[in-house]
Amino acid sequence: MKRSNEFAVGLAVLAALALVIGGALWLSETDVNQKEATYTARFRTVGGLGVGAPVTLRGVRVGRVEAIRLVEDEWVETEFRVDRTVELPSKPAVISAAASLFGEWSANIVSFEPLPTDPLVRDALVESDRVGGDAWPGATLPDIGQLTAQASRIAGDVGDLTARIGQAFDSTALKALQQSVKDLAAISRRMVVFADAQTSRIDRVSRNVATTSDAFAGVARTFQQAVARLDTATSDGQLQDILANGQASSTDLRQAAADMRSVMAAARENQVSLVRVMQQADSLVTRIQHGNGTLGMLATDSTLYHEATATVIQFRELLTDIQAQPRKYLKISVF
Amino acid sequence: MASRGAARDGFVAHVGRRSLETARALADVKTWGPLLAGQMRRLGVDSVPIALFIAVFTGIVLSLLSSYIFTGTVPMYFVGALVGKTVMMELGPVLTGMALAGRVGASIAAELGTMKVTEQVDALETLAYDPNSYLIVPRVLAATLMFPVVTAFAMAVGVGAGWVTSINLLDLSTPEFLKGLKQFYQFKDIWFGLVKSASFGAAVALMGCLRGLDARAGAAGVGLSTTRAVVLGCEAILVLDAFWALVLL
Repeated sequence: MKRSNEFAVGLAVLAALALVIGGALWLSETDVNQKEATYTARFRTVGGLGVGAPVTLRGVRVGRVEAIRLVEDEWVETEFRVDRTVELPSKPAVISAAASLFGEWSANIVSFEPLPTDPLVRDALVESDRVGGDAWPGATLPDIGQLTAQASRIAGDVGDLTARIGQAFDSTALKALQQSVKDLAAISRRMVVFADAQTSRIDRVSRNVATTSDAFAGVARTFQQAVARLDTATSDGQLQDILANGQASSTDLRQAAADMRSVMAAARENQVSLVRVMQQADSLVTRIQHGNGTLGMLATDSTLYHEATATVIQFRELLTDIQAQPRKYLKISVF
Repeated sequence: MASRGAARDGFVAHVGRRSLETARALADVKTWGPLLAGQMRRLGVDSVPIALFIAVFTGIVLSLLSSYIFTGTVPMYFVGALVGKTVMMELGPVLTGMALAGRVGASIAAELGTMKVTEQVDALETLAYDPNSYLIVPRVLAATLMFPVVTAFAMAVGVGAGWVTSINLLDLSTPEFLKGLKQFYQFKDIWFGLVKSASFGAAVALMGCLRGLDARAGAAGVGLSTTRAVVLGCEAILVLDAFWALVLL
């Protein structure tokens, strides 16, 4: 029983060990028979490349990434194994790139010469190669996230542009533009008709202009004659007299203007008192109109007027009566 | 205050006494050494069938479930990656541990509980056998050593079941499945699961032994101790699973 137990346990343990070790070696693709060679590539950054990522040559998987480590001068060294039977380029380089949209990356072996056309990749490979050593030059392509972010920005810009074009050329603007083109065509047709119709008129106008030009020439000749006559009148002294009279009149006018300015200055000086007088007169007239004061009462109350008139009449009658019968009013007595 | 200090001293003293007992028991190889193989056979080798049974169906379900999740969005070779990672790192160790907590933990608790209530443990002490050396150490060591073995079988069978399911029930080829399985594999995946399963074995066996030796009041007490051993074993597995995930991942 005891030996049976030991055998069963030993068998289970050995089987489990074989499973674990064999499975681990198989899953990690460990090179037990040394069929693979180890190489190193140098990158500035490896992007999403990780240990276990496939190494491909012209799209065919030929190995896997074994280790990734940071080294001096801000470089990253990637160690990977490649099948020894694979014929590599004479001067190989490695480009790390996303293998799918799901975060998988792969290391792709390419030939260093000729250099890739992509300027970023080319510069990265040249920079890595300049360091020298056994490590292959390496470069990393932008990952899907960076590309999609860039594409998203471009799409956004295109969207903005489209929206702006849409705003500028909406249906109304398009109709207006079409109408403008139609109007322009109609205007062009009318211009053609107008030009045809005006051609004869323009000819007539041209002829009239020529006639008018001849008339102007005649006027010019007449004006020359008038000037000649004016020269004759000037020679007789008549024009000098006229000019002298004009100068005298001008002097008188200047004197009159000076007088007027002095009058105006005096009037400006008396303006304040004049205004005050006018205000007082206005106040007086107002009081008279309202019947205030003696003059107001005189102006507004007719009783006094009638009384005064009756008094005058009576006074005249009294004077008449005095003249007619003086003794009635004057009694002169000497004694 | 004085009672709290006494309790603290009592706890410390208890830990110290248990540690010394454990050290003495581990050093008593002559006692537990001859028993180890039998316990390894009983707790480990005999548990392989149930572990494989669970692993087979775990692999099948994982494969179908991952294909259902990935359909139309993620490449199907990710089924291999998901089955491999999940079986090796989580479901293999944990489900195997749970199954063995029921089988091994209950077995140990019932056996030791019966020995306790029938005073066989006292008889051992009378015969100058240390119960710790004779009963606990071989079982705990056997479980600690054999749980990883059983788990290794479960891992292999679980992944194999997932592979067979993928090529038969899903429209997936063997190279595609292996591509996903290998592409994301790391050696840590395996030893992480094995380390966890060793700790699960120790915890399950220890809970079974302690609950069994604490059994009281006859058959009912044995049943209660057995139940407690299973429950505590499962809880210990989950706690240790979280602990190892925090520490090792």
